[in-house]
Amino acid sequence: MSPGLIVEQIFNGLVSGAVYALMASGLSLIWGTLKMLNFAHGEFYMLGGFGVYFGLLLGGLPPLVAVPLAMLGAAGVGMLLERLVIHSLLDKPGWDVSPVIATLGVSILLQNLALHLWGERFKNIPYYVDGGIDLFGIRMAWQRIVIVGVTVVVIAVVVTLLKQSRWGMAMRATAQDRDAAVLAGIDIHAVYLWTFGLAAALAALAAAMLAPIYSVNPWMGAALLLKAFIVCVLGGLGSLGGAILGGVLLGTAESLTVVLWSSEWKDVVAFILLILVLWVRPAGLMGTREW
Amino acid sequence: MLDVGNLDVLYGDVQVVWDLSFTVGRGEIVTLLGANGAGKSTTLKTISGLLRPRRGTIIFDGTPLDTLPAHRIVTLGILQVPEGRRLWPGMTVLENLRLGAYPASARAQVETSLERVFALFQVLAERRGQLAGTLSGGEQQMLAIGRALMARPRLLMLDEPSLGLGPKVVERIFEVIRDVSRQDVTILLVEQNAHLALTVADHAYILDTGHLVRSGAGPELLADADVRRAYLGL
Repeated sequence: MSPGLIVEQIFNGLVSGAVYALMASGLSLIWGTLKMLNFAHGEFYMLGGFGVYFGLLLGGLPPLVAVPLAMLGAAGVGMLLERLVIHSLLDKPGWDVSPVIATLGVSILLQNLALHLWGERFKNIPYYVDGGIDLFGIRMAWQRIVIVGVTVVVIAVVVTLLKQSRWGMAMRATAQDRDAAVLAGIDIHAVYLWTFGLAAALAALAAAMLAPIYSVNPWMGAALLLKAFIVCVLGGLGSLGGAILGGVLLGTAESLTVVLWSSEWKDVVAFILLILVLWVRPAGLMGTREW
Repeated sequence: MLDVGNLDVLYGDVQVVWDLSFTVGRGEIVTLLGANGAGKSTTLKTISGLLRPRRGTIIFDGTPLDTLPAHRIVTLGILQVPEGRRLWPGMTVLENLRLGAYPASARAQVETSLERVFALFQVLAERRGQLAGTLSGGEQQMLAIGRALMARPRLLMLDEPSLGLGPKVVERIFEVIRDVSRQDVTILLVEQNAHLALTVADHAYILDTGHLVRSGAGPELLADADVRRAYLGL
């Protein structure tokens, strides 16, 4: 096996790693601020995919317009979910399971809604950029370079906002001590709303990036959600850095399995990786010991 | 400035504050005293809006507080330094302080507020880049008070500021409380160290299992033999 092929597969691993990282960081942000698992996260991804599809093919919009619009649309759905479903469950007895059941219900609802509205046929999206480049004899498609590049830029922007902006600081404060945030004058319900919006937009971006390589369909988010949860646990639930590291790690491990072994063993390797990491570090790679 | 009238507060089905009425005048230092479980912290949390009263009124400068969301109460200038400090452990000292100036009215004065807090607690200036979770107990209490001062409070409510701290640090913290009070900040203090609280307080209210049992000027209660024996354990 040529080293070139391995390098190419590592790059492909970064591509799926980027998508995992986008999904997992949204889940982690929601876990961090609200301490809940969002089982409807895959549907933010699915709606993002359909959003881009309709924007590009029916609206005739260029990708640079269609993708941000799809992200905005998904953010709207995410905020609506927070306000209509999550908000009324907050601080009520049963909060440890109620959001799981509620978001699972929303997930089923949205999948079936998409099925009825848009049909079960897989929809294809053309590559945003054709062609590729040869780097030291390794062929890389521009589409994949764009995925990695855009993800790196977007995650850098999100991290900077969380570190520097008033709004990001309010989010971190809510995650670290909710009552202290309230007592400092932070409107935590606004924080919850924005967290859902941001997380949904990141999921939609993930779909926009990957949809031209795979395709758009009502169930596209379901399989990915499971992987995104693995990534979160791998990296440490609630840790943004962990979501990114976990995403890249899982993506690369899967790609290398495909080329060195067989694609059927991809998921086996993913779960073995998860078990090994949890064995050594029960709170995940970058998780705190608190839980 | 603050008028609490006939307050009933319940945790679930358990009533912890019974028909409590008291007032805090502008510029005063007022203290709520009583044993563990007397309802002191509950009263502060109800004023802050973290808990809702079953019955009764809380009026601050003419504005009823009991229907306002907690973050709006903060913007009126009512700041609580909660029991156990409740800092953001993963943020630096400086980040904790800056975020303390979150209300819009305080934001414009962040830099002068920072200077004031650093002047009060020099150790915070030295440790500004350190994570709050790595500070000592005394430094954490100073940071918690500093963070509340960043919001430019008009009424500062302190819940057990001396808890678990050494005498030197406690002394410093009470110096600061007096200092802050002189700068036109009204203080509502909850303390288990009754002797200490009564020496600084203009007025004191003694609670027993949720009921108001005595009130009076600080020095007067401190001198009262019955009060000393029954409620202050002196």
